[in-house]
Formats: sequence, structure tokens, C-alpha cells
Amino acid sequence: MNKKIRVTLNGKRTDLDVPAHRLLLDLLRDEIGLTGTKEGCGTGDCGACTVLLNGKPVNSCLIFSGELDGADIVTIEGLKIGPELHPVQKAFIRDGGAQCGYCTPGMLMMAKSLLDENPDPSDEEIRFALAGNLCRCTGYAKIVQAVQDAAAELRARRA
Amino acid sequence: MEELTVVGKSVTRVDVQEKVTGAAVYGYDLVLPDMVYGKVLFSPKAHAKIKRIDTEKAKSYPGVVAVVTGKDAPWIHGEAIRDKPFLAQGKVRYVGEPVAAVAAVDEDTAQAAVRLIEVEYEDLPAYLSPEDACKPGAISIHEDFASYRKMNFILPGAMPNVCEHFKLRTGDVERGFRESDIVLEERYFVPTIQHAAMEPHSAHAQVDPATGKVTIWVANDAPFRALHEISEALGLPQENIRFINPLQGGGFGSKGGLKVEPIAVALAYHTGGRPVRVKFNREETFISTLVRNEAVLYIKSGVKKDGTIRAREMTIYWGGGAYAEKSPTVCIRGSLPGPGPYRIPHVKVDGYAVYTNKPVAGSFRGYGIPKVAWACEQHTDELAKRLRIDPLEFRMKNVFVDGDVSYWGERLHSVGLKETLTKAAEAIEWGKTSPSVRGLKIGKGLACIQKPTRSPTLSKAGVIVDAKGEATVLAGTVEIGQGCSTILSQVAAEELKMPIEKVRMAPLDTDVIPYDASTTSSRSTYHMGNAVRRAAIDAREKLTEMASPMLEGKKGDLAFADGKVFLKDHPGMALPLGEVVRRKLGADGTVRGDASYTYELAKDLDLETGHSDNASAFYMYATQAAEVAVDEETGRVRVLRMSAAHDVGKAINPLNCAAQIEGGLAMGIGSALHEHMIVDDQGKVRNPSFLDYHLVTALDLPEMIPIVVECPEPEGPYGAKGLGEPGLAPTPAAIGNAVADAIGIRIYDLPLSPERVYRAIQQNKKKVA
Repeated sequence: MNKKIRVTLNGKRTDLDVPAHRLLLDLLRDEIGLTGTKEGCGTGDCGACTVLLNGKPVNSCLIFSGELDGADIVTIEGLKIGPELHPVQKAFIRDGGAQCGYCTPGMLMMAKSLLDENPDPSDEEIRFALAGNLCRCTGYAKIVQAVQDAAAELRARRA
Repeated sequence: MEELTVVGKSVTRVDVQEKVTGAAVYGYDLVLPDMVYGKVLFSPKAHAKIKRIDTEKAKSYPGVVAVVTGKDAPWIHGEAIRDKPFLAQGKVRYVGEPVAAVAAVDEDTAQAAVRLIEVEYEDLPAYLSPEDACKPGAISIHEDFASYRKMNFILPGAMPNVCEHFKLRTGDVERGFRESDIVLEERYFVPTIQHAAMEPHSAHAQVDPATGKVTIWVANDAPFRALHEISEALGLPQENIRFINPLQGGGFGSKGGLKVEPIAVALAYHTGGRPVRVKFNREETFISTLVRNEAVLYIKSGVKKDGTIRAREMTIYWGGGAYAEKSPTVCIRGSLPGPGPYRIPHVKVDGYAVYTNKPVAGSFRGYGIPKVAWACEQHTDELAKRLRIDPLEFRMKNVFVDGDVSYWGERLHSVGLKETLTKAAEAIEWGKTSPSVRGLKIGKGLACIQKPTRSPTLSKAGVIVDAKGEATVLAGTVEIGQGCSTILSQVAAEELKMPIEKVRMAPLDTDVIPYDASTTSSRSTYHMGNAVRRAAIDAREKLTEMASPMLEGKKGDLAFADGKVFLKDHPGMALPLGEVVRRKLGADGTVRGDASYTYELAKDLDLETGHSDNASAFYMYATQAAEVAVDEETGRVRVLRMSAAHDVGKAINPLNCAAQIEGGLAMGIGSALHEHMIVDDQGKVRNPSFLDYHLVTALDLPEMIPIVVECPEPEGPYGAKGLGEPGLAPTPAAIGNAVADAIGIRIYDLPLSPERVYRAIQQNKKKVA
């Protein structure tokens, strides 16, 4: 059964007419064509499909489109601040935080959400926040470093 | 030697911008115009005859475009041994084998139609361990094995279901054991694990109805091997097949070979020219692509009281799963250095690659070495313990050094092993003991390895310089996350003396990119690095030729720097490379350099003795050392810190080297402590999800100390060897040795799960009491 929904997607009001049972992940990737959000498992175990829903990180593979009317959704394609990369994106580039890059969009969305809540996280807090985002390439060390560096840059900007 | 300007620097990855913005298109993301969607019916049986398949209901389901079974795709493929049908033919050999496939207007329709296919099976005895499968009297999993086409290096075994028997014979082990003061025999076991690349598997295929040309879009790390294999199976000339590589979201060995590709091709022949997309979900990726070989390893050694090793005998059963895939070559290249990087006069190895009724084993990062190291390196510690010698000292006394002749008859050079041992040990304060605290037992352990690379192999490359002064590298090496696009760009930039920002990598399309054997075996930096370096030099020489009259100087007087060419005596009068091209060939002109690199073997391994005077283009050496805490109450092992010293020859990009080592360590720690694909007594995988198959998370990892050792390889580009694979190879053994040091108990089977360690502690208490 189709349902009409109105959402804010990466800052833009978007009207959609979609099957209510369509998962947010599939809505983004297949219907809207935003393939930056990755599918790693489809069962909420890997975090590759993390997006921000009303400011909170969610596994988009576990959310039905029918629930989304009025929602604010931010995906990796909307992480930039204007034309400029978000500090966490820049830090991933600088510090070697991405290898194959498949987990990277989800990792970045989760990191952004952490830094929104906690501008000065400890390594342990970063590891805890990212524990639901699996990465098979990096061993996480450079990711944790990148999140620390991004936090420092964001703090410097606010100061 | 000229000073290096780009090589040896930690430049930023050239592929990272698109990865952090979500712009990168991976195989799993690819959308083709007018495509149809494929889904697969998988075998529920481990070993059974197919009595009947009825596809009528599926065919008439609304929205279905095509239904295919083995009858519609009568093709067999395989690299070392041609044994694997595109879809099951007459029988199934493992739970998860593709039996039939449906293409439909969308994925839900295809899945619904798959459920309507009826299959009747007649059970056959299933073999779920390699030792059972090769016992006398076992029935054949491949009845027609004798008639399969096999590569010339394959030596089938005399026992049932043995598709390869590797033999190494040096000296006389029986004499060696007689001459020894201590003889020790042990059995080790390494279970099946999965690559678990974050991107699941998928493939797209299309058959052009007019020309018959088959195009396959797939994130495959060996597109030229895949092309060859499809060509051979279909009986089509190679120019009628084209592989296009979208970006690959990790692989670790799983994405070479043919997994989803044959299904997509089989369907594409029945869609009237429409492209087909077949995506495996995570569960399907677990059960029906590739896994790492399980291995049963028997090891026996004789040592003298003076600490020298006299003899070593190994028998290794490599569980290969239902089809040969890479098992024969894992058996060869894993068994050959199986006895470890040690001077041993008497050596005997028998390696058996054995068919079983389990998921197909393919290449996996490390290519056999993690398994032999798990046995050999713990065994080495047990010998040291009996000799009352420190494990580090015992290794320093026996490991290969420059000029040694290995037990397979090769004189070794550029052996950085001792330096890796010393540095890895130092990094965790070897010799300094930590006291146990609150029921936690602390211990340290180390392990070292030597790893060959696939040899001989060929890499070809092109480098194009255009009138903008920019360079394009044409190389068939696949960016699987390891950083090859950055490394190869650095090499091209170095030889053309231009900034790396001016270099780009061409997309990988087998119709236009020159041949490369594969992105496997840690071979790319060395082989493709050499090819790209030579191609860039070829382009530079052509530019020199063109610039010489423009600058009114002899070719030998010209030099390159900063993207410009100039007379050495007049560096102020420099011509940008783009201008050289433009003046000579116009604004659309290009200069192209081409080259190839191959490492010639004097002769192949001798099938009866395993001997060769150059078995590998180069060898990688590494030592890792771990400090662990074992909770005696729960059996939980925690790695507290871990060092990894790797001899890379020359670090083209030190940051990338550290990144590769850290990633390898993480995978190694996971395989040591919890990874295990559990197959039940019916042959069904019980944990095909990330909920039940535990990958390491950001919370699970200790302090990691990557150490780069540079013992240059004269043939390598700038002295480089390889690095990708060894990162996880000694890890479980180093952790196993640390656990044994902590609790005084040797554990022979992986993984070192809390349950296994707890039981070992309890059993030991009983024994002591």
C-alpha cells in the first residue's frame, strides 16, 4: 500500500509517494537514487546504513517509510556544511580513516552525531559510540584518531 | 641515487574524497538502465542427487522474465581445476549451492517466484571434515574428478576427495628424529572463517543480442582471471567478454574467482538483452560465496639440546569445501613454507586439499600462512619451553638470514626477519613480566612468518601524458581498499617528476586496460609498481625525445622536476610537460608509455620434492608480539597491547603501511578470539549474520603498535616488497603463545573463545588435582 509522505531530506522539502513497508534504506538508494548510504547487512547489525533521523543516528534498514511523514533526514550526501566538507570528513581524509570506504558514510554519520552531543569525547567514548559501526579494513585506530581531530577542529571553531 | 619526491611520503589517499562524500559507486550501488533483478534458489542439502526440478509455477508468475537451472547453463568453470557448474547439475554438494535462479521486474517478484520452484532431492552421505572426506571408503563428492581439466601443477591425491597433494621432501626426517634429543608431536586446528567484507557480493551481466558479447559489471579483484574463466567455460573468445569494475567495498580474497557472476551470466542469456542484477544479501554472502579453508595440522619436530632444529614433519589437511577454487594453490603455497622460517636439515611435508560438503573455500588474506603459523609458531614455543630457552632467543638462533638455503632449495636474500623479531619484542617490553592481578593472568607471546607471493605472474601498465600536463595510469590492479591507486599514482608521479595531484587512475575496464594477473597475494606494489614505473619511464623517454629539439639540448642533458623538463645547466628555461605535448602533437595530443613486468621462474616447483631455486618473486617477513590478560574465572582473553613489525622492503607510503598493518592486526585478533563459521551436522551454517558471527568492533581492540622494517628487495620498485596479507598471519599464534605464557596451558584449536579457554583451565585443574 502506497503512502504519501513529506520529509525534509538533506535540508530540502521532499514529497514522496511510496509503499509504506519500503525501508528507509531502500527508499534512499532505490527510489531517490542516493546510494551514499550503504547496505552491509539489512538487519541492523553493521551500521553501514546509518543516517540521522530527526537528529538521531538510526539504521535506515530498520525504518519503514510509512513512519517518516514530517521527518528530518540527513544522509552522507547532506553532511557537507555549505560547499565545505564537514570537519569529520576532512579528518577522515587527512588521518587515513577510510580504506575500502564502504563503512565510511555510516561511520561519518555516527561520528557527527557523537560530536553534536559531546564536543570533547574521550577515546573510550568514541569507541563506544562507534561500536555498532563495523569496519573490516582499518582496525578503527585511524578512525578514532580522525574523530578526535574533528572534535578539536570543531571546538576551535566554536572558541 | 636521485632523491625521491613522492615515493616514501605519506601522501593522502587519491580515492578518499569520493568515499567520504558518498559519491563513490560500488558494485552493490550500480544501477543499469532497464535492468531486471535476479534471485537464487540455494540448496538446503549438503550432498544430494537432484531427482527433479519443476520451474513451471515460477515461470508463469506475473513479472518473471526468466527462470534458469543447470540444464539452461550447461557450463563448468574453475581455475586450477575445472569442476564448478554455473548452477547445480544433477547433484548438490553443499548447503547454499545455487540450484536455480529467477530474473524478474523487481527483487520481491523474483524472490516470490524462487519460492515456487520445486526440487526433489535424494540424500547422499555428507563429509563435513577434511579428515573424514579422505578416509578410505569415502564416496566421491566429484565422481567425474578424473576427467576434469586441471592445471599442470596439480597432483591429485591417492586418497578419496583429495584434489591436490603437495609434497616436500628434504633430507631424511626419520634420521633427523633419531639424532634429536627431544621429539614433539602435536595436532592443531583452524576453523572456517569468513572474509566479511563490508560490501556484500553482487554482479550485473548483459548479453548483447546482436553480437553475443557478454559484459559483466562486478567488484572482482581479479577481472582478467574471471574473464579467462568465463571465456573458457562458455567457449567464447576473450574479446567477446568484458569486465567492468565498479568500486569494491573490501574483499580480502573473497571477491576473486566466480561466485555471483555465473548466475548473472546464466540469467542474462534469457532476458532478451536486458541487463540483470544479482545481489546477495549478507546471509547469502556468508553461505554461498567463499570462505577461508579450515585446516587440520599435524606437526612433529626433533631438536637438539643445543637449541638447533634437526627435523620437522607436517601433515596438513586443507578443507576445501565443495569445489576446488583456490584450495589446491593455498595447499601448495601454504604448505611449502609451513614448517616456518627456520633452518631445518630434514623436512617432510604432505599437504592435502580435500573436497568436503561445506561452503567453497577460496583465497583469504594470508593464503594459508595464518593456518600453518598457528601450528608451527605455537609448536616452536613448546619446543623452546622443553629446551628451557626463551622463545625469542630460540627463534633468533634458528631463523633464516641472508644467504641461507631454505628447505625447498632456494638461496634467500633481503631477509628482514631478525629485525622484525627484535623490534616487535622490544615494543611490548619482552622479558619484563607483569604480575597477575585480581584473577587476571598476564602473559606475552610472539610469532613470526615468512610468506611467498604468487609466482610467476604478469602485470602490464600504460601511462598517458596529455597536453594539460596531466597523467593517466592504466593498470589492472583493483582498488579494494588497500590503497593501490595511491601507491601506483605515487610511482607514476615519481618517475614523471610531477605533483601527485596531476595523476589519475583510469577506471578498470578489461576492453581497454592492459592485462594484470590479479590483485592478490600482496603482489601489486611489487609487480604493478614495477610495470607502472617502467611505463612512466617509457613515457618520460618519449617526452625527452620530443623536448630535446625544443630546448636545443641533447637528450642526456635534460632533466625533469615539478611537471617540467629543462636543461640541467639552465633550469630557469623549463618547459611544462603539457607544453611539450601540445607543441609536438597539438592540444589533443597524448604521449603514451607502455611496459610490463613479470618475474620469471627458472623452473616450477618439483612435484615430487617441492623443490625450487626461486619459488617466489619475493618473500615477506613479519613478527607480531602480544601481551594478554586471561580471566581464569570466565576464560575471557583480552589482548592488552600488540606490536606488529613487518619487513616491507621500502614503504612507498608509510601512513598506508601502518593502516594496512592495523587492519591486518584487527582481523587477526578477531580470528584469534572469536571468529568461527559454525557448520552443523547437516552442513548448514548456523551463524550467517553479523549478530551471530562476531567481527571485532571499535571496543574490542587493544593498543596496536605497527612497525615498518625496510630491508630492500633489489628487484622491487624502490626496494618494495608486499604488505597486504601478512598483517593477520602471525596474529593468532602470537596471542596463543601469550595465552600459554599466562596460564601455562597450550590451546590447540581456534578460536580462543571464553568457553574453550575456560574448559581448558578446568580440565587442567582436574589433571593437576
